[in-house]
Amino acid sequence: MTKKQSKPKIAFFDFASCEGCQLQIANLEETIIEVADVVEVVEFREVMTEQAERYDIAFIEGSISRPIDEKRLRNIRKKTKILVALGACAHLGGVQRLGNQWSIKENLKEVYPTAKPADIKNNEFFEKPRHKAVDEVVPVDYVIPGCPIDRTEFIRVVVALLHGNKPPIPDYPVCVECKKKENVCLFTIGKFCMGPIARAGCGAICPSHGNECEACRGYISHPHKDAQIDVLEKYGLSAKEIMDRKTMYTYRYVEKEKQEEEA
Amino acid sequence: MKVLSKHDFNDFIDALISDETYHTHGVKSKGEKFVFGPLESHQDLRLDYDTTILPPKKYLLPQYETLIECPLSSPFEIKTEHHEKPIIIIGVHPYDIIAINQMDAYYFNEDISKSYLERRKNTIIIGSDIINTHDKAFFGSMNTAHVDTGYDLFITDLGDKVTIEIGSDRGQHLIQKAARVREATDVETQKVKALRLAAQGKAKRGMKIEPNQWYSLLDQNYESNVWKQQSEKCLACNTCTLVCPTCFCYDVNDEIDLKGNSKRVRTWDGCMLRQFTEVAGGEVFREDIKERYRHRFFRKGKYLPDRLGFTACVGCGRCSIQCIPDIADPVKVMNLVFDASESFVEDLETKPKSIPVETIEVNEEDAKPLHHPMSATITNIKKLTEREKLYEIELDSGDALHHMPGQFVEVSIMGAGEAPISIASPPKKKRFDLVIRNVGEVTNKIHAMKKGDTIGIRGPFGNGFNEEELKGHDLLFIAAGLGLPPLRSLIAHVLDEEYRKDYGKITILCGCRQPCEVLFDNEINNWKNGEDVNILRTVDKCPDGECWEGDTGLITKLIPKAKFNPKQTMCMIIGPPVVYPFCIQILLDLGVPENHILVSLERRMKCGVGKCGHCQINNLYVCKDGPVFNYHDIKDLPEAFA
Repeated sequence: MTKKQSKPKIAFFDFASCEGCQLQIANLEETIIEVADVVEVVEFREVMTEQAERYDIAFIEGSISRPIDEKRLRNIRKKTKILVALGACAHLGGVQRLGNQWSIKENLKEVYPTAKPADIKNNEFFEKPRHKAVDEVVPVDYVIPGCPIDRTEFIRVVVALLHGNKPPIPDYPVCVECKKKENVCLFTIGKFCMGPIARAGCGAICPSHGNECEACRGYISHPHKDAQIDVLEKYGLSAKEIMDRKTMYTYRYVEKEKQEEEA
Repeated sequence: MKVLSKHDFNDFIDALISDETYHTHGVKSKGEKFVFGPLESHQDLRLDYDTTILPPKKYLLPQYETLIECPLSSPFEIKTEHHEKPIIIIGVHPYDIIAINQMDAYYFNEDISKSYLERRKNTIIIGSDIINTHDKAFFGSMNTAHVDTGYDLFITDLGDKVTIEIGSDRGQHLIQKAARVREATDVETQKVKALRLAAQGKAKRGMKIEPNQWYSLLDQNYESNVWKQQSEKCLACNTCTLVCPTCFCYDVNDEIDLKGNSKRVRTWDGCMLRQFTEVAGGEVFREDIKERYRHRFFRKGKYLPDRLGFTACVGCGRCSIQCIPDIADPVKVMNLVFDASESFVEDLETKPKSIPVETIEVNEEDAKPLHHPMSATITNIKKLTEREKLYEIELDSGDALHHMPGQFVEVSIMGAGEAPISIASPPKKKRFDLVIRNVGEVTNKIHAMKKGDTIGIRGPFGNGFNEEELKGHDLLFIAAGLGLPPLRSLIAHVLDEEYRKDYGKITILCGCRQPCEVLFDNEINNWKNGEDVNILRTVDKCPDGECWEGDTGLITKLIPKAKFNPKQTMCMIIGPPVVYPFCIQILLDLGVPENHILVSLERRMKCGVGKCGHCQINNLYVCKDGPVFNYHDIKDLPEAFA
C-alpha cells in the first residue's frame, strides 16, 4: 500500500452555523499543507466540491435544527469511524439555541415577518426548527469546543486521533490560562466574566484582550455554578442579568436544568 | 552598604539591560497592576510597585518546560535542553526572595532536579525593599518583610539615591558596572532601617496567631466547620495556587506535532483542580471542593512544615488579592479557624520555623534529569485476562532493576505519557514483571505492543516491603483484584527456597470479582505445594456457566477461615480502596497488632520523586513514603482510607 492510500480520510460538514470554524481550518495557511501530508481531505464544502462514501474522521460544524438535518447527520454517522463535533454550535447548540426559549411560531414571526403562511407550511426547511447539539442526535466521539475553534487545538486533536490518543481538551477553567498570562482580572476592573467555570483551551483569548469570557467552550465538567452565581451577584449582577448576559453560549445547560426540574 | 545617586543607578540599570550576555527583567506596570517582565529601559522599572500578579517563581519553575524532546520513532534520542543566558531579575521583594529560598529547599530536597538547579544557578536576583504595600499583603505578620540571604544584590530606593547591599560574588561582579559607587553614611543606613520597619508595620493585618502557630492550629482543626463554610463559595478556579509563590506542584504531559516529533512537557498544576488527584481508572481522591480547599491551607501550614520544617506562606497577599469570592486570604482563614476553635493549645515541640534560614548549597553532581526514562525491552508478553497482560521487561543497559517487593516503576510511552505500575516479580532477578491493565492512554498503547518492542522505565520508586521487618514472622497475604501482582513480588520471594527459612507459616487469600478475572491461576496452584503454605481463594460471584472451585463471596469472608496466629503474623493487604477498611477491621478484631498490618495505597503518582504533589495523602507522598505503609503509621491520616 502506498503512503498516500493509507492516509486517513477526513471530511467536514456544516449545519446551522456561520461556518467560521471551517474558515479557521481553511485559514491554517502553510500548516494546512502539513495537515494534508498526514490526512486526505475527502469532503470540505468550504474549499472543495468532491464527495466521498466513507470517512475515518468526520468533523461536524453547526447545530442540528430540523428533521432534515437530523436525517443527514445520521447518514454521516453511519459513514464515519470517528465523529467530532466542531465548535460551539455543534458542541452546545450555539448562540442560536437561545431561540429555543420562544415558540416556533414566535420565532418565525420575528425572523420572517413578511413570509406568507403558504410558503412556510409543509416546507421542510421551516419544519420544527429547534436547535440541538450534535450529541443530542447521534453519538459524538470527541468535541473541539469554542466559537470559533482554536486552530492549534484543531491540529492537536487531529494529531492525537492519528496516533490513537484521546484528544487533549482541557477540563480546567479559563482562569488557569488567564492567570498564567498575568492578565488583570476583569472582575477587578468592573467587568463580569464566566472564566471561573468556563472550559479553558482558548488561551484566555477574550480576557487577554479585555473582553468578558462568555463560556463559548462550555463549562468544565464539574463547575461550581452556585459559587459563580454568588460571585456575579456579589459584583453587582441581578439574577435576570445573569440569565440575559451569561447564557449566550450556554443555554444548553439552562434547558438541561429546566428539564431536570420538571422531571 | 553602598550608595548610588538615582542618576547613576538609572545608568547602572541601563548598563545591565544593554549587556547582551544577560536577559534583564524587572518589575514594570501592566494596566494598574504590576508584573515581572523584560526591561527595555530604566524607565520601565517600577520599584514603587506594591505586588506583582505572578511571583518570580515563573522564572525558576517555568509555566511550560520541555523535559524531553525526541522523534516518536526514536524515543530515546533525547535532545539536551538549550541553555539560556543568565537572567537578572530586578526588584524582587523580600517575601518573594524567601519564597524562592523555600522553593530551593523543596527542589533540592532528596531528588535534585537538574533543570531546576541549572535555572537557579542562571538566575541573578536583585532584591528590593518594599516601598508601597498592598492592603491585603501581610508579610509584616509573617515576619517576611526583610531577608538576609537569597539575593545577589539588594537595593533600597531612597528617592534621590539608591542603597545597594551585596549578597554574593556575582552581585559584586555586577556592581562593577555602576559608576561612582560610595559607602553609605550612618544617616543613610538609618533611613533604610526606618523604611524597613515601616514596611513591616504596614503589612500587619491582625492575624491572631503567629506564623509558626499555624501548625498547631491546623493540626487541631482538621474537622473545623470553616473548611466547609468557606469552600461553598470557592470556584475551584485554582487562581490561588497559580499566583502563590510557594505553590510548586506541576503536571507532566506529552505532546506530538504534525511531523511526528514528541515532547514531554512540565506545566503548572494546582491542588484546587478536580483532576489533580484523578487516576487513570477515573477515581478522584479529593472530589469535594472542601477537601481541596483545606488541603491548600494544610500544605502551607502543616504538610510542608512536616517535611521541610517551615511554614510555606510568605504573606505576599496575592491569593487574597486575586480570589474573586474572597475566601483565599490566609489571615482571614486562620482567624476564622482560630475563632471557631474552642481550645487552641500550642504544641511547642512540633513548632516549625516560619522561614528557612539559609540558602542551600547543592552539589551539581547530585542533580539529575528527574523525568528521563531508561530504555527497556519487552522480552515476553502473556495474556492473563481480557483486561490484563503480563509483561516481562529487561533494561537495555543490562542492569537489574534492583527493586524491593512493593515498589513501582513509571512506564513511559513517548507521545502518550507515563503510568505508575507495581512490580510483580521478586527482586534479585535480571528481568522484571509488570501486570498491566488496559485502563488509560498509556496502558492502551502498551497493550498494542509486541515482544521485542521498546518502552521507557523510570524507577524503582517508593517504599516497598521491608524484609527485615517481616523475617521471623508468619505471613498473611490478602490480595484483592489487581492487588495480587505487587504481592506476587513478595510471595515469590518468600517462597524462594533460599529465603523460605526466614519466614514461618504462609497464608495467602486471593479474591477477585469473577473466575474470568483470576490472575496467575497456575502459579497460585504451584504455591500451594510449598511446605506450610495455606491458600484460600474466592470470587465475588460465579456467573452461570463458569467453573470455580474456591469460595464465593467477598474476600473479607476468607479472613476468619484462615487459621493464623494473630500475634505472630504480619499481614499484607493490597486491593482496591474499598477493601482496606473492612479487612483491617477484621484483622484488628482478631487481635492483630496495628503495626503488623501493611498496606499499599494507590494515588496519582506522576513524578515518582515527591515533587509534583499529586499523590499526597495528607502530609505523606505515596511515591516516596509509600506505596507500602504500616497501618500503625497512617491510621490517623484522614485521607488514607477515605
